[in-house]
Amino acid sequence: MKNPQRSPTNPGSVRSRFTQVFLQSLLRIRKHSPASSSSSSSLGEFLKRCHRVKVAAYVSMARAAGTRRAWSRAMLWRVRHDAHRHRLLQGRCSRSSSRERSPGKKKRRTKKKKKRRDDQEHGFGNAEKLQKLVPGGEAMDFSCLLDETAHYIKCLVTQVKVMRSIADFYSL
Amino acid sequence: MQPPPSSREIQSMNSLLGSSEISHHDLHATASATSDDFFHQMMLSAALPPWPGLTPANANANGPIDLPAELAPSKHEASGVGFHRFDETAAILASRLRNHQIGNGGSKPAMMVHQHQMLLMPHDVADGSGQVGHGGGSVQALYDGFAGSLHASGQAPNRTQLFHPPQGGATQAAPPNFAAQAVASASTAGGPAPAQPKQQRVRARRGQATDPHSIAERLRRERIAERMKALQELVPDANKTDKASMLDEIIDYVKFLQLQVKVLSVSRLGGAAAVAPLMAAVSSERGGGNCVQAGARRNGSSGGDQAASTGDGLTAAEHQVAKLMEEDMGSAMQYLQGKGLCLMPISLATAISATTSHGSRNAAVSGSSHSHVPALAPNGEGPASPSVSVLTVQSATLGNGPGLDGGSGRDAASVSKP
Repeated sequence: MKNPQRSPTNPGSVRSRFTQVFLQSLLRIRKHSPASSSSSSSLGEFLKRCHRVKVAAYVSMARAAGTRRAWSRAMLWRVRHDAHRHRLLQGRCSRSSSRERSPGKKKRRTKKKKKRRDDQEHGFGNAEKLQKLVPGGEAMDFSCLLDETAHYIKCLVTQVKVMRSIADFYSL
Repeated sequence: MQPPPSSREIQSMNSLLGSSEISHHDLHATASATSDDFFHQMMLSAALPPWPGLTPANANANGPIDLPAELAPSKHEASGVGFHRFDETAAILASRLRNHQIGNGGSKPAMMVHQHQMLLMPHDVADGSGQVGHGGGSVQALYDGFAGSLHASGQAPNRTQLFHPPQGGATQAAPPNFAAQAVASASTAGGPAPAQPKQQRVRARRGQATDPHSIAERLRRERIAERMKALQELVPDANKTDKASMLDEIIDYVKFLQLQVKVLSVSRLGGAAAVAPLMAAVSSERGGGNCVQAGARRNGSSGGDQAASTGDGLTAAEHQVAKLMEEDMGSAMQYLQGKGLCLMPISLATAISATTSHGSRNAAVSGSSHSHVPALAPNGEGPASPSVSVLTVQSATLGNGPGLDGGSGRDAASVSKP
């Protein structure tokens, strides 16, 4: 695994941008829940925090990718609306946010019917699966979907690498 | 559009066709001077701007059809011209004329001629340019049309034969379209009446499928193909057998990456509370040699809680856990709890298993994490593979060396049962 001390050669790359934003969000999370020590947190709390970290990771990745990409825009939109809904239903456990996420998706599901025709061209039903995976993928035609997927995969890989290196760094 | 010039051209074409009847016996002639003449007549009559020098590869008997050069000298020797050449020319020009209607008048003829030249070039010109190949198809169709017209005028049907040789380039042109055009042109050629509206149907550029839908289709397909290729490079294990399997691969990979992010987000919670330290009540539901032993623990520095499966294979429970982990970490943990299992850091697991009687398993536990790296690379199982790959990845990161246990003190969960 790469040593954590290696600095990114390209300061403007997605990786460095993501790292910056992600670390900031992590600090923010840490500040938010300072009471989280090994003893106090219950399972739910812990999970909530995990979820928050995950969301922060995705959001920072989306921000790093920039709004030029459809999937990053979709992800930010989704997170923002889910957070909003979550705030409305505050007091529930973290499961609520995952539940609220589905209404956001329902909006896009209507578009799926139209796009199903395009899926018949190549890749049939797999395109639907891919559309579900890639944020905002349901509103795209197949070629755009492939393009977004490529970028999304690249960013995911970057994200994983960064997170893992951070984890490595902390565990050592 | 511009009917007048086209009509003029068509009329000239008709006249030339008439004259060609005389020389139809020269059908089999290889020389292609008539084509030049045809062009000359066409161009001269249409008063088209001079084209850049166009020279067909297969040198005609009269040398390359250098239209602009030959435009000036009006060589009207309409004899000894390879009829097939003429047909090509005529056909192409006919199509061009039709297209002429669509585009600006000046450029169209130039395009027509140019494409004609390209067609006259070795017919095996790849269809990459698209135009040439389609030109061949259009040529053929137009040939048929011309043949029909010439039939009507009592000409020999030899031309139909000649259509096939020129067909060299791949022709994706929609034959029906061309046939329609050919028929239209034929009718026009056969009849002195201009019949402009029939011929000047909307036509795509010569050399391409006239149907705009097919052009768009082709573009779309090419775009998709190149994007699939790009994706292939990103995704590991790209066999590129076919698109469907490639798509499946891509989907799996995206799921796997997302799962990794989720798992890492859990592991990254430095200082998070210790997940319920449910010690592993080893329940070997499946007989086998799988070790299922999960304990949850978090240390202050950082904890990696993941459910992963080591051992000989991925059992159903592990599959289930992996799936659950994708949805929600909590449910995954609860599932494990229900089974009397829990997530446990690898270091702890190895330490525990070291004390168990299954010495071999221990080695397997510790080593399997690494040995899984190659074994699980081909992820045959669907949902389980990501989790296993996660473990292997984690273990790979934990310790590059063989010694996983006690390597870095990092916690990675291992589901193993003694």
